[in-house]
Amino acid sequence: MTKSYQKLGKSILLWVLIIIATAWAFFPFYWAIVTSLKEPNVILTKPSLVPFWQFNPTLYNWQLELTTRGREIGRALGNSVIIAVGATIIATTLGTLAGYGLARFRFYGWGNKDITMWFLSQRFLPPMVTVIPFFLVIQTLNLLDTHLALILVNATFTMPFAVLLMRDAFKELPPELEESAWVDGASRWQSFRHISLPLAAPAIAATAVICFAFSWNEFLFALILTLKDAQPITVIIAGVEHTQGIQFWFVATRLLLAILPPALLALLVQRYIVRGLTFGAVKG
Amino acid sequence: MQERSRLKWLFVGPGILWVLAFTIFPLLYSLRLSFYNARMGRPVTFAGLDNYRRAFNDYRFWDALEVTLIFVVASVTLTVLLGLGLALLFHRPMRGQRFFRSIFLLPLFVAPIALGYLGLTIFHEQVGAVNTVLRAMGMVNLPAWFSDVWLARLAIVLVDVWQWTPFCFLVLLAGLQALPEEIYEAAALDTDSGWDTFRFITFPLLLPVLFTVTILRLVEAFKVLDIPFSMTSGGPGAATQTYSFYIYLVGLRNFNQGYASALAYILLILMVIIAFFFFNRLREIYD
Repeated sequence: MTKSYQKLGKSILLWVLIIIATAWAFFPFYWAIVTSLKEPNVILTKPSLVPFWQFNPTLYNWQLELTTRGREIGRALGNSVIIAVGATIIATTLGTLAGYGLARFRFYGWGNKDITMWFLSQRFLPPMVTVIPFFLVIQTLNLLDTHLALILVNATFTMPFAVLLMRDAFKELPPELEESAWVDGASRWQSFRHISLPLAAPAIAATAVICFAFSWNEFLFALILTLKDAQPITVIIAGVEHTQGIQFWFVATRLLLAILPPALLALLVQRYIVRGLTFGAVKG
Repeated sequence: MQERSRLKWLFVGPGILWVLAFTIFPLLYSLRLSFYNARMGRPVTFAGLDNYRRAFNDYRFWDALEVTLIFVVASVTLTVLLGLGLALLFHRPMRGQRFFRSIFLLPLFVAPIALGYLGLTIFHEQVGAVNTVLRAMGMVNLPAWFSDVWLARLAIVLVDVWQWTPFCFLVLLAGLQALPEEIYEAAALDTDSGWDTFRFITFPLLLPVLFTVTILRLVEAFKVLDIPFSMTSGGPGAATQTYSFYIYLVGLRNFNQGYASALAYILLILMVIIAFFFFNRLREIYD
């Protein structure tokens, strides 16, 4: 009898902890939503947390963002899409090829492990080391304030994710599948294209999502390499700093707008996110 | 497997060439810059090791390094420990685990720059979320988060911890779920102390994953820029001015590109030392 009470107590305690942890993870989003529903003067004068009870929610800020500032926001989101998709296509394509190469061939001298580690080590490179020369080069090439400049940058920075994740994915496929196709006269390219590639589709999707999310959220290079026309959403978010102080309401609306695309994509490939973010070291 | 040596380079070559093209040149260029007096709008002159010498006599350099180390140690320790705690908490048969995991996935995808600004509103002294809660709990002397050195540091660490704990949690949970169940069945015969099971079985078996998580966190934490950039602008004073932030100020606000490049190279050397320290273990993990 006491034992079962103990068990009940323990499980109640566990659920309390689980709920606290979840609330903690969700709280900033809640705060952002609540803030986006308050009028600016309410935000700055009456601190509050619960709509209806403490304040009257309004869509005023959303209206302002989507109508008056709609063109600016829309253009920034469009720029972010172009940049992130462009970078994702390049990184995922080259990363898939390189990942396959590293998983299926043997390299001598500079061995497979060395090449893999070299790709991984790119993530160790602080962006601050390359941002000044990048700026000077992009300026010389007349590419300042273009999508292309940021596509090149983000493709480079997300490539390690793509290579390592795809290498890991191809390593998991049994090589016999392709070998039997060769017996039937298929070439290496054909067996890659028609057997391994389709089987690796989920991993490719996960790779693409991770490359997309990192490119989408990149800020430093976007700030330095764009002036106006090619500015992505992260730079527009930084525009909330106003001479009269921080505009809380736009922080909230823009954060919520900006998180939607990568978060929705990530939920689709949830199973692979752990593997992707650890470069394939931990299977999710 | 038979080698077709041309073909294999067709697979791996483009990726290598791409990364080489976009990293080697900038790296060499900033190495060169670091030996020059290069300020925008002034003649460029050779400076030898002056920029490096200058760094070691620059108290802001040492301060930035210190701030970064404090940040890295605090953030990495907290995220890994909290992540481990959460992973142990959620590692049980339970309803709705997928739902909870989805919630914990979200923080990872918030743009850090946006998160920094949100942090500014959350820790705002008069109308921020944290102080609103503290006031409701009856606290009278509310903390002034952004005017106190250590509170400001705590605030940026907490925001970073919020963003990265889910990463540690999800990875460690995956690690726990990959452990063989038979071991626990066998252990249950010997002890029913949860602590013993953790100490002698779970922890040692989880070490490789803990190592991976820690090193990946270290690498990211050392580069931190966006959160202090948007949340505190490095203040109060230079209390939250991280190393990357200092390079940014020197190179991109004051346009002293030579000195900024030298500072960047010092950071790069630090990263190489850290990488070197872990490299053999990393090689094993990515076997």
